[in-house]
Amino acid sequence: MTPIKTLVCRAAPAALLCLAAGPGLALGPEITRAGHGAAPGTEDAAPRLKPLPPPSLNFYGSPGIIDTPSSEMLPDGQYAVTYSWFGGTSRYNITVQALPWLSASFRYNGIQDLGLFGFDTYYDRGFDVRARLWRERGWLPEVTMGLQDFAGTGVYAAEYFVATKRFEGAALGWGKTPGRLKLSAGLGWGRLGSSGAIGNIGGVRPTFVGGSTGGELATDQWFRGDFAPFGGFEWQPDERWSLKAEYSTDAYVTETQVSNVFERKSSVNYGVEYQYSDRLRLGAYYLYGSEIGFNAQIQLNPNNPPTPMAVPAPHPIIPRTQWATEASHWDQGWVASETKKRQFRDLAAETLKADGLVLEAITLTGTTAELRYRNPRYRSAAQAAGRAARALAQALPPSVETFRLVPVRRGLGLAVLEVRRSDLEALEFDADASDALSAAAGVRDAGPLPDDAIFSGELYPAFATSVSPFTKPAYFDPAQPFRLDAGLDFAASYAPAPGWRIAGTIRQRLAGNVKNGRASNSVLPHVRTDQREYAQFGTTLENLYASRLWKPGRNLYARATAGLFESMYGGVSGELLWKPVNSRIGLGVEGNYVVQRDFDQRFGFRDYRIFTGHASAYAELGKGYLMQVDAGRYLAGDYGGTFSLNREFNNGFLIGAFFTLTNVSSEDFGEGSFDKGFRFRIPVDWLLGKPSRSGFGLTIRPTQRDGGQRVAVPDRLYGSVREAHRKSLEEQRARFWE
Amino acid sequence: MSMIRKTAALAGLALVLGACAKGPEKTPAELEVLKAVGEQFTRRRNMPPPVQLTRALLDKQSQAYIEVTIENRDAKAYLTRALTRRDSSPGTIEVWRTQDNVSLALRSGMVIATRGLGGGLLSAQVPAADGAAGPARGGARRYTVRAKGNGQARLSMACSLQDLGSEPVEIVEVTHPARHLQERCEGAGGVVVNDYWIDSRPGRNQVWQSRQWAGPETGYVRIRQLRL
Repeated sequence: MTPIKTLVCRAAPAALLCLAAGPGLALGPEITRAGHGAAPGTEDAAPRLKPLPPPSLNFYGSPGIIDTPSSEMLPDGQYAVTYSWFGGTSRYNITVQALPWLSASFRYNGIQDLGLFGFDTYYDRGFDVRARLWRERGWLPEVTMGLQDFAGTGVYAAEYFVATKRFEGAALGWGKTPGRLKLSAGLGWGRLGSSGAIGNIGGVRPTFVGGSTGGELATDQWFRGDFAPFGGFEWQPDERWSLKAEYSTDAYVTETQVSNVFERKSSVNYGVEYQYSDRLRLGAYYLYGSEIGFNAQIQLNPNNPPTPMAVPAPHPIIPRTQWATEASHWDQGWVASETKKRQFRDLAAETLKADGLVLEAITLTGTTAELRYRNPRYRSAAQAAGRAARALAQALPPSVETFRLVPVRRGLGLAVLEVRRSDLEALEFDADASDALSAAAGVRDAGPLPDDAIFSGELYPAFATSVSPFTKPAYFDPAQPFRLDAGLDFAASYAPAPGWRIAGTIRQRLAGNVKNGRASNSVLPHVRTDQREYAQFGTTLENLYASRLWKPGRNLYARATAGLFESMYGGVSGELLWKPVNSRIGLGVEGNYVVQRDFDQRFGFRDYRIFTGHASAYAELGKGYLMQVDAGRYLAGDYGGTFSLNREFNNGFLIGAFFTLTNVSSEDFGEGSFDKGFRFRIPVDWLLGKPSRSGFGLTIRPTQRDGGQRVAVPDRLYGSVREAHRKSLEEQRARFWE
Repeated sequence: MSMIRKTAALAGLALVLGACAKGPEKTPAELEVLKAVGEQFTRRRNMPPPVQLTRALLDKQSQAYIEVTIENRDAKAYLTRALTRRDSSPGTIEVWRTQDNVSLALRSGMVIATRGLGGGLLSAQVPAADGAAGPARGGARRYTVRAKGNGQARLSMACSLQDLGSEPVEIVEVTHPARHLQERCEGAGGVVVNDYWIDSRPGRNQVWQSRQWAGPETGYVRIRQLRL
């Protein structure tokens, strides 16, 4: 069994699925077979890590034929964005392969001229989930179960079981054709059982109600009512083209019988698709005997960046045996001289600077050095530690044997990585350099700053300024699904002493249309839904606050912040986090007393103040899965809890989802019934192929309401503390020597 | 329409003129992307002209040089020696480096690491022996390569070594007497063939020329010893 399956098998409900799953690839998931028939000595014949081409997608953004699904799964972690259009129906889909056997989709769709439920064009949102029951093996086809639009208003609600079998052209005796044939057949309920039904389970299926609150799981509908068989095939004559045909059992009752969006004359759809590039696939179709359709599919895999990251090569460590050849070179007399110690500090700072690191402080004894450094460049803490270790090996006198490397963020020591200089010298060119060093290094709690630390001469007080563009989106207004404000942020910060920081940002909007959005109709205090009111002002003070971060004790981290935290709230905030360096668990508490800011976002406040706070538990589950549970009081005064699950890839790419349940009733909450959403982070280094710690983060909620909302306080502790701890360092150990 | 266009142009201009960052803090993401796009343009303009290699030119140099060609991107570079050392494993290690911060580490003339190339070879176990250049025997070989973002993958292969006999090599107007050794490795779902041209004079442990596999991303590299 592959490890991921073992992990999954621990969950009892999944045990059945695991029994059904076949043996995994013997090579491990990342290695794919070399091309058939390539000559030895060519690159095609060599081992490769490039993933195999993923399956093509249907109009719902999941693997499939045209309007019907197939059983195929995307490669693990794959991320697919599709846009499809036919007969006045447009669908924007995002599909994420969360586990090798489980995928989830989010859809935003518009149906033109539906003329129902009081909307001109009917916009809706929906979620799908698909689980593979077993893999293809021998003559057994792969089988997948899917729930389409399974929560909420359910305009596309359907459930299905589908089986797919793949055949190589050559195996079918079609001569030397390299082509491939995929056959799919399934049984569908809901929409997929609305035409050509062959049977019925449980009588009449409760129907779709447009314009209702939505958000609840439609369990009373699943696999109820008529069911019908559907099917189709995909023929790929070569790597780029494919021909598709299917028999669809979606009668499009709402579009063609209740309303008159298009005419459905046939159940058979045809299409042709072309793989334009590794990531983009385009298709054209003829659907339901009357309509032309298009589909554009973009697929990305976090494990497969557009450009592999290239970091300027480090200078090799020169063993001391080569340059400290006399006994006098190893003398420790320099420790007595403050001037000499300062010289070594300056030399180390200079060497670190060449690698983009900033020396905060250094503590030197005859045989040890504790370096506190900032890392504004590398996402991987292990890589920053590797560069810091090399810098010390280059700058310090030979008698210093132990390096204690302490990454520092906002004055807060995050952890200690202790390495011996002789290990660095011995292992750099070892066959297993990364594993060997990781085994020889120790990770410990950072502890207090030593009294005799020599601070950098350049920091404290330190000023920083930046001018950078910003964008601020607003989603899913029925009148206009996407709005955007853009402009410039003028930011400045001042750090008077380690841990202390005063920062502010002035925001100037240059263009945007968020101000034309929907007015709030919320019956709760308008803690988040007055976005339009806040967007009326072009020049605003985005934030202005003073904060202090410190370590109150072993394994403890603390933060205190006062001022204007974000565009909507200001106040005071305190946080305490317990996170041992070697543990996968963390616990935290946060309390905030906040006042709602005036719409003009200057120094004034509105008449709404509240105490909001949470207790949080964090766990690293392995395989990059991060779980967080928060319980406490939210901005509208509601009590409840938030559950979030993120999958963070080794390179910082993040995909996650969350939901919040509070004591606000679904009627009071409004559309969506409870707060939920998903988030992404695309790292800049992943995009550009060069080191960076920045990323483009995005949190999308199907509806922004007032229940279950939290204040956004700058510099929350957990994320940056976790990055420097053992699990993260171990997972990224391969970066240490690079 | 023209109003919108004007606003957009103005906004674009403001971004390019206005974007900057100073001080010991992280640069905002938007800024880094803008900078990277800008660098793409300047790099295209500042491509240096290719060098015409002659022995006379090489003789004028004071340092040792190797020429490395990466086949899959048709890139060629001249590297100088940054370090020669030994560790607890057999074979002498040499680190070679370009001016634009790409480096290549060799053990007895066999590639054991690349740095600065993107998706590189992190480390490798090679069949080196003291007193021999190139591979000393067949058997196990192990490559550790960058995979999955910041992770690594280990490719284990089994090799056979074949001596293809005397085959002198000419490197920029000088012909060196050499033996051609070929290493054929199988495993990790593929086949790799490495070729070495090793000085055939007794006591001279020198790989003059080679073609070696350096991981899935870099592919095959050709190395020539231009100047000792």
